[in-house]
Amino acid sequence: MRALAKVLPAGVLVALSFGLCGFASDPAQKVGADIIVTAAPVYAPLAVLRGEERFPKGAHLLLIHEGTAAPLAPHFAASADAQVSFDGTMVLFAGKRNEGDPWQIWELTLANRTVRKVLTTPTDAERPFYLPSERLIYALRTPQGFRLQSDETGRKPKFTPMNPSARPGPLQLSYVRASAFPTDVLKDGRILFESGYPLGSGTTPEMYLVYADGSGVESYRCDHGRARWGGEQLASGDVVFTHGASLARFTSPLAHEEHVTAPPAEYAGAIAETSTGAWLLSARASANAHYTIRLWTPGTAAMETVAAETGENLVEPVLVAPRTTPKRHPSALHPWNYANLLALDARLSRDGALKGTPTSVRLETQDAEGRAVVMGTAPVERDGSFFVEVPGDTPLRFTLLDAKGAVLRQERGWFWARSGEQRICVGCHTGPERSPDNRVPAVLLRTTTPVDLTRASKTDSARQAKPGGR
Amino acid sequence: MSRAMQSRLRAALGAGLAVVAAVLCGAALWNAWAADGVVTGRVGDRLTYPSPLEMLFSPDGARLYVLCNDSDEVRVLNASTYAEIKKIAVGHKPRGFTLSPDGKRLFVTNSWDDTLSVIDTGLLEVAATWPEGAEPSSVVEDREGKRLFVANRISNDVAVLNAQTGAEEKRLAAGRGASYMTFSPDGRRLYVTHVYPNLTEHRTAPESEMTVIDTARAVVVDRIPQHGIAGVFHVAISADGRLGVAAELHPKNLVPLAHLEHGGAFEDTLTLFGADVGNRTVEIPLDELERYVARPFGVAISPDKSRMYVTSGGSEIVTVIDVRRLLNYVRTHRAPFVQDLSASANYVVARVAVGRDPRGMAFTPDGHSVLVANRLSDTISVIDTRTNRVASTIQIAGPKQLSVLRYGEQTFYTARYSFQGQIGCANCHIDSTFDGLEWDLEPDGFGRNIVDNRLIEDLKGTDPYKWNGGNPNLPTECGPRTELYFWRSENYDDLTLTDLVTYMRSLESRPNRWKLPGYELTAAQERGKEIFERKVDKFGQPIALKNRCNYCHSGLKGTDQKSFDVGTKRATDDYSLIDTPQLRSIALTAPYLHDGSAATLEEIWTIYNPEDKHGRTNDLTKDELNDLIEYLRTR
Repeated sequence: MRALAKVLPAGVLVALSFGLCGFASDPAQKVGADIIVTAAPVYAPLAVLRGEERFPKGAHLLLIHEGTAAPLAPHFAASADAQVSFDGTMVLFAGKRNEGDPWQIWELTLANRTVRKVLTTPTDAERPFYLPSERLIYALRTPQGFRLQSDETGRKPKFTPMNPSARPGPLQLSYVRASAFPTDVLKDGRILFESGYPLGSGTTPEMYLVYADGSGVESYRCDHGRARWGGEQLASGDVVFTHGASLARFTSPLAHEEHVTAPPAEYAGAIAETSTGAWLLSARASANAHYTIRLWTPGTAAMETVAAETGENLVEPVLVAPRTTPKRHPSALHPWNYANLLALDARLSRDGALKGTPTSVRLETQDAEGRAVVMGTAPVERDGSFFVEVPGDTPLRFTLLDAKGAVLRQERGWFWARSGEQRICVGCHTGPERSPDNRVPAVLLRTTTPVDLTRASKTDSARQAKPGGR
Repeated sequence: MSRAMQSRLRAALGAGLAVVAAVLCGAALWNAWAADGVVTGRVGDRLTYPSPLEMLFSPDGARLYVLCNDSDEVRVLNASTYAEIKKIAVGHKPRGFTLSPDGKRLFVTNSWDDTLSVIDTGLLEVAATWPEGAEPSSVVEDREGKRLFVANRISNDVAVLNAQTGAEEKRLAAGRGASYMTFSPDGRRLYVTHVYPNLTEHRTAPESEMTVIDTARAVVVDRIPQHGIAGVFHVAISADGRLGVAAELHPKNLVPLAHLEHGGAFEDTLTLFGADVGNRTVEIPLDELERYVARPFGVAISPDKSRMYVTSGGSEIVTVIDVRRLLNYVRTHRAPFVQDLSASANYVVARVAVGRDPRGMAFTPDGHSVLVANRLSDTISVIDTRTNRVASTIQIAGPKQLSVLRYGEQTFYTARYSFQGQIGCANCHIDSTFDGLEWDLEPDGFGRNIVDNRLIEDLKGTDPYKWNGGNPNLPTECGPRTELYFWRSENYDDLTLTDLVTYMRSLESRPNRWKLPGYELTAAQERGKEIFERKVDKFGQPIALKNRCNYCHSGLKGTDQKSFDVGTKRATDDYSLIDTPQLRSIALTAPYLHDGSAATLEEIWTIYNPEDKHGRTNDLTKDELNDLIEYLRTR
């Protein structure tokens, strides 16, 4: 949105909204709740992965109440990305008061339409989501694209985290040189975000997960393929997303995506599920048409248009209704500036058997210009295990080497470990369906001290703390 | 019609509607209550709930017998209406029961009384009470009506009794924690499962066994190994005898417990055996990538072998498996399957939400329904086997109020608080005890400070907790620590935590089987006691105060609640000071020492006390150490 050419004055938008909307009869009755949508003349959802604007010609939020649409934030030059609070009384959104402002995070109280600025950031802050304990996440624009960021809502939480690593205030969650853009907060408390695949280097839109403290980053599934984006979780726990231009879903039992047999259309991700299990979708007939809001009950053949507006794409529908609060993630990060990673068997992979025996693993990170920097190597045990200490909060990539130093396998992309994180990998790209074998990895029988690949001075106040304090 | 008559009619109609409304509201409320077994608000009273655990239909299908674990009863219900016919008082903590083949006698194992109640099903009265082994947990009678087989959890054996007199014929050594049994359909083989793993080398994968008994000869003919399994519960065999199944836990105790996702702490599995799977054992997972079947307990195979049902105490569901698809998957894919969380998609066809801590199941005689005993809801869910939906929920009469202790117990047994519902307290504290495993917890570092899991009975007055004494009280132990390093997800609120702790502090020690009636000591125990309390060693040298057994292991529970260096620090330990554990029920809780490195009590001194730092013991003979152990077992 930095390249926003022109943002229509709010008054004009109001007139356009009222004058041009062509809503089906009584959509609120069918949906069972008010709806908030983002209306935009141009919608480029995947532009964020290139650090560009989704709404290059502006956007504004519309509240659809009993079949009538009205601007939700009429005094804003632009508004988008509505997210309703868990109790259904407030709306978090990205907005620009004035045309030249960066996108900032605001909160609107539905009862009296008062608006407060939640965060002030030097650059665009977009796509906010509520987290439990009065925190939120959003995408913050940086020179490398968008990054995931967490902060406080400004209200006092009922629960005060005990762990100092889950400190108050802003918290950077993503640490790759690529855009990471949130799409939902799952019921288990993890954040679903999209970025390019391979992470940190690729351009195919893919979905990833991370805990609310930035730890545990991983691909949602490892059946990588065509573009996947706009993921949103249903009440069942399934995650529905746009695959290419059609819909697909991830379900708990399956390691791969499942096609959703929906009426032929181009879909724009970010669906909303009604209390009856129907889906509010943003769809269009072809690339030349605009997205409209449709109501579809899975398993049926037809969709019904709930909201359409001439010359505008209606996207990112959300329901104005209370919803279940996701679980709060209790951050267990240690007060270190490094992380420990234990691979149980680096030989295991969805990519098949290695052509040789790995004897060492090489760690790379990236310098300020994005060039790969070798941090060192660590031995790989006969059972495929290795244990290393790595720099925290920076891009990481492992390469398996044989005894002659030849590359046996290299990670396709980059990932990160949060400072103070201790993490276990079952293998190298084994997929989330693979659970660990119950055995003591050979490396821990030899030593419980990880090979230091940080090349830096470390801070570790935990080692000075009283043993057993946790 | 006169105005007065119209008015009376309106009044009558109004009253009628009010009655209908009241009935409907009442029914709705009752259903809501019955569905969850919960009434809002919690009372501080110690209430006795029925806690249905197991069920049996009478051979004629007219009666349903319900074993009630907390009220020490068998409830007899009309199998058609589920109306209660009678309550029959039995012994303490009944855990298993069986009908004689002719249905005339009902045998009940009273696990804390060490007795067997024999109920005359004609009179619906206890006709006899027979003494049994240590913690009898289940019982079956052979087809001829000659022998009873009783699985004893603490004495780790199966007692063979004369079915008419109760006289014990012999004991067959089983695995550790022998608890559940089932016959092959021809009655020639008896399969026994175990809730605790057998002892193995330190920091190796747990090993359990399925003990197989030839019922005609009453001898053990096989011990089927169950590698990697710790905690096996119900076992069932199909009517054609070709497929057996046992429900079990597959712990990940050797891997640092850094996170729960991807089955990081436990997998929930079934072991299949029999001709249908090539007369081998095949372990299959029940879990999914983001959803777990925490603590599988009951298993039942439908009479036509089309479906398999598994209760899951932690997840509070019944998992329905398509047997044909399961066998096809097992036959067409290469084992092992257990590390693949996507495998269950090939054979699990439904997950049916039921009540709290579902345990035993029973098919209705027509096979159209399977009944599920929800122990901590005091309900029975009736699942329609054609739709895999709960058709109705039967309330077992009991207290209408939810007590603090009951709510605490529900919290203890559920997995709903952990990340993706993978584990609950009862995963590691099986039936509120222990699991016999050592765990590598994350916060101390990977591979460091390995800890043995302790028994949690009679905890009051034994603080601090953790082997290094790092947690001052139970609220800390069960609250923030559990949230951060076990659940890895949002924990209970403070009130729930208080109830949980109240429940844990209420757990009594089970009866000590090594004590004589009247608490007299045997000669060996007396000699052991003298060693325990001695101040001078065998060479006449005074034993330093801190090196006497009864200095640290003082008081009624055998702990002074302080930490000492007893020379057991390992290279992987960060601390040498070890919290003095209480001695209550120490005979049951092998392995020993803070990291579980001592497989037996004897090894504590013969292997791990070379410098006499853990009490002066190197002057003792083997016999004297045995005496000391004999005494310790009475604590």
